[in-house]
Amino acid sequence: MRSPVSQTILKRVNRWKLIGLLALLSFLVFLLLKVENLLGSALLAFVVAYSLGPAVNFFERRGVSRAVATSGVFFASSVVIVLFSLWLFPYLGETLYRLQNDMPRLIEGVGRFINEAETKLRAIAGPLSSFDLRTRVESQLTNWAHGFFTSVPIALKNFVTVMLLGPFLAYFMVKDGRYFMRSLLGMVPNHLFETALSLQHQINFQVGQFVRARILESVIVGMVCAIGLLIISFPYALLLGLIAGVTNMIPYLGPLMGAVPAFVVAAVNGYSSLTIAAVALVYIIAQLIDAGVLIPLMVAKIVDLHPVTVIVVIIAGAQVMGVLGMIISIPVASTLKVTFFTAYRHLIDTRN
Amino acid sequence: MKNFMWENLFRRDNQDQDVLEALRHTFVFAALSRKELRFVHDVVHVRTFKPGEAIFRQGEVGIGMYIVLKGSIDIYVDHSVDEDVPGRNHLVTRLRGGDFFGELSLVEHNSRRTATAIAAEECHIIGFFKPDLLEILERQPATGVKILLRLGEVLGRRLKETTQRVTELKEELRRVGDRV
Repeated sequence: MRSPVSQTILKRVNRWKLIGLLALLSFLVFLLLKVENLLGSALLAFVVAYSLGPAVNFFERRGVSRAVATSGVFFASSVVIVLFSLWLFPYLGETLYRLQNDMPRLIEGVGRFINEAETKLRAIAGPLSSFDLRTRVESQLTNWAHGFFTSVPIALKNFVTVMLLGPFLAYFMVKDGRYFMRSLLGMVPNHLFETALSLQHQINFQVGQFVRARILESVIVGMVCAIGLLIISFPYALLLGLIAGVTNMIPYLGPLMGAVPAFVVAAVNGYSSLTIAAVALVYIIAQLIDAGVLIPLMVAKIVDLHPVTVIVVIIAGAQVMGVLGMIISIPVASTLKVTFFTAYRHLIDTRN
Repeated sequence: MKNFMWENLFRRDNQDQDVLEALRHTFVFAALSRKELRFVHDVVHVRTFKPGEAIFRQGEVGIGMYIVLKGSIDIYVDHSVDEDVPGRNHLVTRLRGGDFFGELSLVEHNSRRTATAIAAEECHIIGFFKPDLLEILERQPATGVKILLRLGEVLGRRLKETTQRVTELKEELRRVGDRV
């Protein structure tokens, strides 16, 4: 039997193990932030993995091996997405065709609006009468259009990369994610192992619940908008519902961004104030259901953050990473909170 | 050199086999089929402890049980009542290969360890924790239920032993009281 290793040596070994683990985690975070499209792909992969994970578990419970269950669920999801695309693309094509037909009317409307504004401006503001509104607006629109068309190919390339890489990563996350996590946990020093495992479990559970709740919330909001718009016989109802559902993922700004296309369509078609009010009512009802029922029932319980904290972290997320930062700010804050409290409890326990 | 290479090449396989054997001989997993045992094997964690290293300490929050795979572990209990006075650990027992301990933490919420476990020599231990049990229940409920039933049996047996011990102590106290 070997003599006990001194506590000083054990502490030193554990400290180095911890430093090595933290260095590895920092390197992984560095890679995520620095490698182009990796962060977006990883986030999409997490969303897909957390959404499809329960379905894979369902088939595994019925005796199907994890590899077969994962492949089956991903294949079935791909088929659904392809079928959805087959419906969506002609629908989008038709919508764009209609929009193209509407375009002269839109341009005419915008031109008329500018002319009227210019006439009014000349009549009201004597000293400012030399102000050439039309030239200014035209140059601004030209700049925007130029910027839009130069950024489209880059955005398209990034989009395609994320859309291909994300599901690919998600497949391996669902199938082998546990082995990766076990290898990572294997590097944790013994005295921190139970704490680390418990922390990983809590974070995994909380983030998984949050992602699934947000997806369900967006689907319901999108459906309410689409059904509401169909009821008032508003054009492009399904597409507008889809946009409202997707943008609803962005906290605070999302609902507004989702409503804008509907009002643009209403303005272009020159709908009456009553129709515009009905459209506004549909979006308000969807948001009331979201804020009054869905968020308190599904999201708030999971997140467990004070409303002021939520606003602060969303602003911080927007400052650091823009729209993406706003979307991920809440789960990141929630994860940091769990980590902080678990570390604090561990410290108290160890000190006692 | 040749031996070293072969030993390293097959060390992992040997350890996997040892873990499977240890699980099969542990009461909590004894009712599982070979396939179920393999599944549990993929979920549990094998940890190595140096001599004198603590597996856990009395009063810490625990989340699971351990099975001794190789080596031996000393279990100490600090009976001091006054928290301000540093207590002295009493060696209660020495656990060896095949023994398991800490199973109460698998089912109790925020369970505090009731003893300190320290490696008496370099040892390999299988850790089975609450998140692992939850994973088994989520992915293979039938396996999880078998484990839970066995766990209930172990805890019931422990409760029976404790009740018996309390009854014996009460009897002893009564006898001492009568004599005084």
